[in-house]
Amino acid sequence: MNSRERFFSVLAGEIPDRVPVIPVVDGYFAPKIIGRDNDECFLDRICQAEALAASLARFGYDGVIAEMGLGDEPNVLGCPVEVEGNDVPLVVETLIGGREDIGKLKIPADSSAVATGGKLEPVRWLVEAVGAGQVVLGSVRSPFEYAATVRGLYDFMTDFYRDPELVRDLVTACIPATLAVGKALIETGVDALVIKDSFASSSMISPDHYREFAWPAEVQVIGELGGLAPVVLHICRNSMPILEDMAKTGAAVLEIDSPVDLAAAKAAVGSRVVLKGNIDAAAVIGKGSLDDVEAAVRYAMSAAKAGGGFILSSGDSIPNTAPENNLTALVEAGKKYGKY
Amino acid sequence: MKDILENFELAIIAGNADTSADLADAIVRQGQATADEIFDHLAAAMKEVGARYETGEYFIPEMLRSAEAVEKAMTVLEPYLFERRHEQAGIIVMGTVKGDIHNIGKNIIVSALRASGYEVHDLGVNVSTEKFINKVKETSADLLLLSAFTTSTKPALLDIIAALESRGMRGDVKVISGGASHSEDFAREIGVDGFATDVKSTLAVCRSLTGD
Repeated sequence: MNSRERFFSVLAGEIPDRVPVIPVVDGYFAPKIIGRDNDECFLDRICQAEALAASLARFGYDGVIAEMGLGDEPNVLGCPVEVEGNDVPLVVETLIGGREDIGKLKIPADSSAVATGGKLEPVRWLVEAVGAGQVVLGSVRSPFEYAATVRGLYDFMTDFYRDPELVRDLVTACIPATLAVGKALIETGVDALVIKDSFASSSMISPDHYREFAWPAEVQVIGELGGLAPVVLHICRNSMPILEDMAKTGAAVLEIDSPVDLAAAKAAVGSRVVLKGNIDAAAVIGKGSLDDVEAAVRYAMSAAKAGGGFILSSGDSIPNTAPENNLTALVEAGKKYGKY
Repeated sequence: MKDILENFELAIIAGNADTSADLADAIVRQGQATADEIFDHLAAAMKEVGARYETGEYFIPEMLRSAEAVEKAMTVLEPYLFERRHEQAGIIVMGTVKGDIHNIGKNIIVSALRASGYEVHDLGVNVSTEKFINKVKETSADLLLLSAFTTSTKPALLDIIAALESRGMRGDVKVISGGASHSEDFAREIGVDGFATDVKSTLAVCRSLTGD
């Protein structure tokens, strides 16, 4: 069974030869695999794709997460982005000062509007480079996350009480952006989409706010995009209080982070949706020993492997500072303890 | 006065900015509360808001709502507290370090420091190392206060200390880190000159390091 067959057998509800291993390796970690800094790959999109492909080949996991350039995704709506050294890219200027600015957003009308300026080049490059037996996941922000990006996270979070209608209107305005980017990624040939909705986490907003402001937009975009490609819904940090809601979005896979008890998640929604997770990216992969990584993988397998419907992953993006040996240990332990 | 201060504390916890400002006005009009009493109630409110976040009762919007209640109240209280200040003791650059958007604790501390006579340059939240360094250089600050809500911000704190050292600025400015989770061991690991966990300890360590 190759990686692609393994991945799709899990999505089809079948038991593969072993649990697929698809850690969240993205532009924050991968550049160092080819000896580059993140800011170099920020400026050079193909550098980022090369780094992701090199990391996939080096560590031997089952799928790669393809993104537009590090700065391109926020820039879809016109937000300028900067990155220093190996830091994460930061939006340096937000676009929404108030309701009157919503109409000024440069919402892409369709997928063709996303492809301008070479934004999709790293995704195309990656789809061609990794070959037919591998899985390529295209990553896109949710409407809620786009809304937070264009408003600025601090102001966005205060809007929940100051002006909740602004939150609602902004999220609604950003729905076409997620749809356009998602469709553009699918048109490049990715196998599935990861819709990132990190700010909808119960570590950020209450479950009630999630249900009122983030969930309806998730349902809408997953409803449209899910018919074109399977959707992985990523909500990092604590998503346990909203796991039932996430399972009702129509997503094929829920990507959950380390604060969620994997056994409890499996018991709650594991019969209805595939779970992907949830080794602690910062504490275990980033700072733990090789033994810590192996122990975490063994626990994850004991919690979620039985009956299928499980993909081993880090709970969130692997940090730039993570030892490369820890990623090797994750993949090896995943292959060893993930056999059916 | 005790009732007013307790209600003031409750208004902040509830995130009711209008009420907290009204009660701050009542505190000023009565003119009996000492700065320490006011700061004690601010610190207690902040601690309760933090506890509610930890237990999953509050989330980021609720914390920021309480932060706004503090900000609005401090606008009313600052002149009152300033009249009761210590002598001007120094220039401070302060901000919440990169990767952290927590505002409530920092804003209370900024107001308390200003009210106590310090010239405070507040850089906001999620502040990069470069911004801290540039502002320290620009203002010839005596103190650099780094707000960090959790110990997960350690790399950001270490980066700032390393940047100060590599540019030969470490001897020119005293560095204080602060946050609810800070401890003496944590401060030693980072290599700061002092640490604080609330308003009162921040004022105390600032006075100690500036010789006030």
